[in-house]
Amino acid sequence: MTASALESQLVVGAILFILGMIGFLTRRNLILIMLSAELMLHGVSVNLTAFSRYHGNPQGQVFTIFVLTIAACEAGLALSLILSLYQRRKSLDISLWSKLGEDDLAVFTSPPTAAPVAPADPNADLPHLTPAGRMPKTPGPNQAKT
Amino acid sequence: MTDWLKENVLWLIPAAPLLACLWIVLVGQVVRRKYAHRPLVLGLVVSLAASLYLLTVVVPQGFAHDEHEVSHSVITFVYQWFKVGTLDIPVTLRADAMSALMLTMVTSVSTLVAIFASSYMKGDPGYPRFFAAMSLFVFSMCMLVLAGNFLLLFVFWEAVGLCSYLLIGFWFQKPSAAAAAKKAFVVNRIGDFGLILGILLVWQTCGTLDFATLFDSSFVIDQMVRQQPEIFHWICLLLFVGAIGKSAQFPLQVWLPDAMEGPTPVSALIHAATMVTAGVYLVARCTPFFVHAPYIQMAVSGIGAATALIAAITALTQYDLKRVLAYSTVSQLGYMFMSLGAAGAGEGLAIHAVTFAMFHMFTHAFFKAVLFLSAGSVMHAMGDVIDMRRFSGLRKVLPITHWTFLAGALALAGVPLLSGFWSKDEILAVLAAASKGSAHGGFYQVILGIALLTSLMTAFYTFRAYFMTFWGPEKFPEEAGHHPHDAPPAMAGPLAILAIAALGIGLVTGPTHLYGHYLHHTPGLPHADEFPLDPVMMAISSVLAIAGIAVAYLLYVASPGIAQNLKRSLSIGFKISQEGLFIDWCGYKFVAAPLRTLASICEFFDRWVVDTIVDCFGFIPALFGSVIRPVQNGMVQNYGLVMMIGLVVCLISVLRALAGTM
Amino acid sequence: MEWTEENMLLLIPLGLGWLAVWWLMPTNTKRPRILGGLAAVAALLMLQMMLLPPAGDLVRNGLFFLFAGTAVITAGLMITDRSPVYSALWFALVTLAVCGLFLLNSAPFLAASTIIVYAGAIIVTFMFVIMLAQQSGTSSSYDQQPFQPAVASLGAFLLLGALLFTLQEWGGIDGKNAPDEPKTGQFVALPAGIAANPLSQAPADNPREIGSLRVLGRSLFGDYLFAVELAGTVLLIATIGAIALAPRRSQGTL
Repeated sequence: MTASALESQLVVGAILFILGMIGFLTRRNLILIMLSAELMLHGVSVNLTAFSRYHGNPQGQVFTIFVLTIAACEAGLALSLILSLYQRRKSLDISLWSKLGEDDLAVFTSPPTAAPVAPADPNADLPHLTPAGRMPKTPGPNQAKT
Repeated sequence: MTDWLKENVLWLIPAAPLLACLWIVLVGQVVRRKYAHRPLVLGLVVSLAASLYLLTVVVPQGFAHDEHEVSHSVITFVYQWFKVGTLDIPVTLRADAMSALMLTMVTSVSTLVAIFASSYMKGDPGYPRFFAAMSLFVFSMCMLVLAGNFLLLFVFWEAVGLCSYLLIGFWFQKPSAAAAAKKAFVVNRIGDFGLILGILLVWQTCGTLDFATLFDSSFVIDQMVRQQPEIFHWICLLLFVGAIGKSAQFPLQVWLPDAMEGPTPVSALIHAATMVTAGVYLVARCTPFFVHAPYIQMAVSGIGAATALIAAITALTQYDLKRVLAYSTVSQLGYMFMSLGAAGAGEGLAIHAVTFAMFHMFTHAFFKAVLFLSAGSVMHAMGDVIDMRRFSGLRKVLPITHWTFLAGALALAGVPLLSGFWSKDEILAVLAAASKGSAHGGFYQVILGIALLTSLMTAFYTFRAYFMTFWGPEKFPEEAGHHPHDAPPAMAGPLAILAIAALGIGLVTGPTHLYGHYLHHTPGLPHADEFPLDPVMMAISSVLAIAGIAVAYLLYVASPGIAQNLKRSLSIGFKISQEGLFIDWCGYKFVAAPLRTLASICEFFDRWVVDTIVDCFGFIPALFGSVIRPVQNGMVQNYGLVMMIGLVVCLISVLRALAGTM
Repeated sequence: MEWTEENMLLLIPLGLGWLAVWWLMPTNTKRPRILGGLAAVAALLMLQMMLLPPAGDLVRNGLFFLFAGTAVITAGLMITDRSPVYSALWFALVTLAVCGLFLLNSAPFLAASTIIVYAGAIIVTFMFVIMLAQQSGTSSSYDQQPFQPAVASLGAFLLLGALLFTLQEWGGIDGKNAPDEPKTGQFVALPAGIAANPLSQAPADNPREIGSLRVLGRSLFGDYLFAVELAGTVLLIATIGAIALAPRRSQGTL
C-alpha cells in the first residue's frame, strides 16, 4: 500500500468523522444523535484498517474489532436509555432534557418562522390492509398503566 | 471516719446537690417524675450535715474564749483548671469561718424550701425540671461560697445567675415570666461586667487571684498599699458594681421585684435568702481590699441607704403580697450595705460593720424565707391569687400560715427580742458609732437617719401586708374555691421550723455574740475591740417598730376609712410610691429607649450601608458569571460543541507552533 | 494572505463543504436544496483532485473512489435528512460503503462482521425504535429544527481543515513529502511480547494475509486474550444493563 493510498483513506476517515460530529451536534433526535456517533466510529475504523494495511500487521484490525464490540454495547444501552427517556416525555427531542442547565436560561427557542407541524391525519394516505377477521383488542395506554 | 470526713467534707457539700441534679436530669426526668424532689432533699440533707460538721472543723474548739486566734482556712485542691503564664487557676475549695456560716445558712434554708416546694409544686408539668434547676442552684451557690479564687467565684457567680434565670422563667409560657427572666439576666450582666473588670484589675495589681494568698496573710495587700494605694479604690468600685447587680442595689434593683414571676419557693430561696446576698458576701469577703478604700466604703453606705429608702417607699403602697416582700428584700439588702459601708468611718469599725452585715444577712435569710413561704402558702390556698385587695381575713382559714407569717413579720419589723431586732439594732448601733467618728461623721449621720426612717417604714409596710391579708372581713377570690385549705404537712413543717428560727435565732446568736465571735476567726478581717451593745439605739428602734405596727393597725384594721382618705388626699405621692419612684419608667425612657434608637440606627447602617457594599462585591462575580453562564444551558450538544471548539483551538494552535518551526 | 493563497486548494472545498452542509440542514423554510447539493458535489470534486494518486492500480483506485464517494455522500445525506427513518437507511448505506473500504484494506473478515453487526443488528434495532416512537409517520418538529447548525458545522469544518492541513503538510497528501514506497510490519515498534510473536505478524511478502482469519484469530486470542475477555465481560454487562434499563411496559404500549 502506498503512502498516497493511505492518505486518501485517512481523508475519507476524517470526513466521515467530521460529518458524524456535525450530526451529533446539530440533530435533536436522540436516535439520530446515536447514529451520528456510530458514524464517527466508522471514520475511526476506516483509519485503523488503513494503518493496519499500511503497516502490514493485524493490530489495527484487532482494534477495530474491539471498537465494533464496544459500539454494539453502546448501541444496546443507548437504545434502552432512549426508550426510557421516550417513556417519560413521549418525545425523542433532546432539548426537553436540559434540567442540569441554569434554570432561567432559554434552552432552545424555535425560530419565529417555525410553522406548527400539522397533526397527522390517521386516515390520510396510509395504506389500508383489508380486514381479516376481528381487530385485536389493544388496551389503551391509560388502561395499561393501572 | 472523722479523718475521712475532715478531708472530704469540703467537696461533699457541693457534690451532693450536683449529684442530685445529674440524677434528676438523667433519670428523674423519665422515671418516677413525681418523686423528683427526693434526690434533692437527700442531697441537701447530706450537704447540711456536712456544713454543720464543717462549722466545727474550721475553727478551733472553744473558739469563743479566744476570738482573736485566726484559724487558717481549709483548702481542698480538686484539679488544675488552667495555667497561662503567671495566671494559675486551680479549682480549689476553700473554707473559713465566713464560708462555713454562709454554707450553713444556704443549705439549711435550701433544705426547708425544698421540702416546702415538694408539696407546693405538686402537679406541675415541669416538676423534675424545677428540682433539677434548684439542685444546680444549690450546687452553684455552695461553689460560689467555697471558691478558692476570684475566677472560680466569678464562674459560679454566673452560674447562680443562670439558675436564677432558669427559675424565674420556670413558667416560660407566661410572657411576663419570660420577660422577667430576661430582664434579670440582662441587668445582672451589667454588674457582672463590673465584677470581671474588678477581677482583672486584682490580677493585674496583685498578680494572683488566689484567696488564700490574698487574704490569709496580709503580705500581698500591704505591699500593694505601699506601692499604689489609689488602685484599691478602683478595685473596690468595680467589685462593688458586681455586688450591686447581684444584690439588687440602686440603680440595678429593677430586676428583683420582677423576679417574683418565678415560683414562690424560688423567690424565697434565691431572691430573698441566698443568691441576692452573694453581693454582701463578696464585699464582706473582700474587706481586706475595702478597708483601704474609705471613699468607696462611703459609696457603699450611700447606695445602700438610697436603695433601702427607695425600696421602702415603694413597698408602702404595693398590693401584690410578693412584691411587698420583694421590695422589703431590696430594702434589707440596702441595710446590709449600709452596715458594710460603715467600715469607712474608721479602722476599728471595719470588723464590726462586716460582722453585723453578715449577721443581718443570716437572720434575714430565715425571716424572709418564712415570709415568702407563707405568702406562697397564701397563694396556694387562694388559687394563685396574690393581689391583697382580693382577699382578707384569712387568719381563721389559714391558722398555720397566719402564725408563721406573723412570726416572720414581727422579726422583720424588728420587734424586741426577735431576730430582726438584734441584727438591725446592731447595724443601727454601728452606724451611730460611725456618725460619732471624726471622719465623715456628718455623712454617716444622714445614713443613720435614713436607716431609722426605713426601719419605721419597714414595720409599717410589713404589717400593712399582714393586716390586709389576715385581718378584716373574710373574703376569698373565686379562684380559691369555697373552702381554702391550709398548708399541708410538707409545707407546714418547713414553715414552722423557719418561723421558730426567725423568732429565736437572733436571740441565740445575737446578744451572746456567738455569731460575731465565730465570724471573727475569718482570716483577713482586721481586729478590733469588743463592740458594746447600744441601748439607745435599741430603744429607738423598738419604739419605731412598734410605732410602725401601730400605725398599720390603725389604718388597716381599726379605721380603714383613714387609709382611704389618706390615699385620696395624697394621690400623687401614692402614685409615685406605687410606681416605685418611676425608676423602672426612667430606665425605659432614658436607658432602654435611647439604646433602642441606637440599635435601630445600627441596624439601618448594617442593612443599607454595609449590606450594600457587600452586595456590590458579591455582584462582581455574578457579573462575570452572567457572561459565561449561557454555556451551561443543560443541552448535551452545547457541551459537545464547546468541547469541539476547544479541540479545534488546541489543534490549530499546535499546528501554528509546528508550522513556525518548519 | 500568502498562506491563504498557497492553501487555496484546501480552503475552497472546506468552505464549500461548510456552506453545503449548512444549506442542506433540515429547516421548515423552503430552500432550494439543490444548491447545497451542487456545492457539496463541487467541494468533493475539488477534494478528489487532491486525492488523486500519482500512480496506481486503476481498478483499485476506481473501487476506492466508488466506496469513498458513496460513504461520504450518504453520510452527508444521513445527517441532513429530515426523516429519521431515511437517516437510518442512509446510515446502512454508509456502513456498506465503509465495509467496501475495509475490503480494499485487506480486512474481509472485518467487513463481514461489520455488516452483520451494524446492518443486521444495530440498524434493525434503530429502525424498530424509530417505528415504535414515531408511529405517526410524519417527521416531528424537532427533526426539522437543527440545533445551532451554522456554528457547529463551522467548528467541525475548522477541525477537518486542521486535519487535512496536517496530512498535507506532514503526511504528503499529494505525495510531495512522503516517500512513496510500501511500508511493512517493522515500521512501528510494537510491545516486546507482541513483536516477538511470529505468529501474529503478517508474512512480509503477502500483505493480503493480514486480514485473514488465521492471523487475526492468532492475534486476538494470543496477544489480546485478556482484552478479548474484558470486551466479552463488557458485552455481558451491557446486556444486563440494557435489560435493566429498558422500561417495563405492558403489551401494546411503548
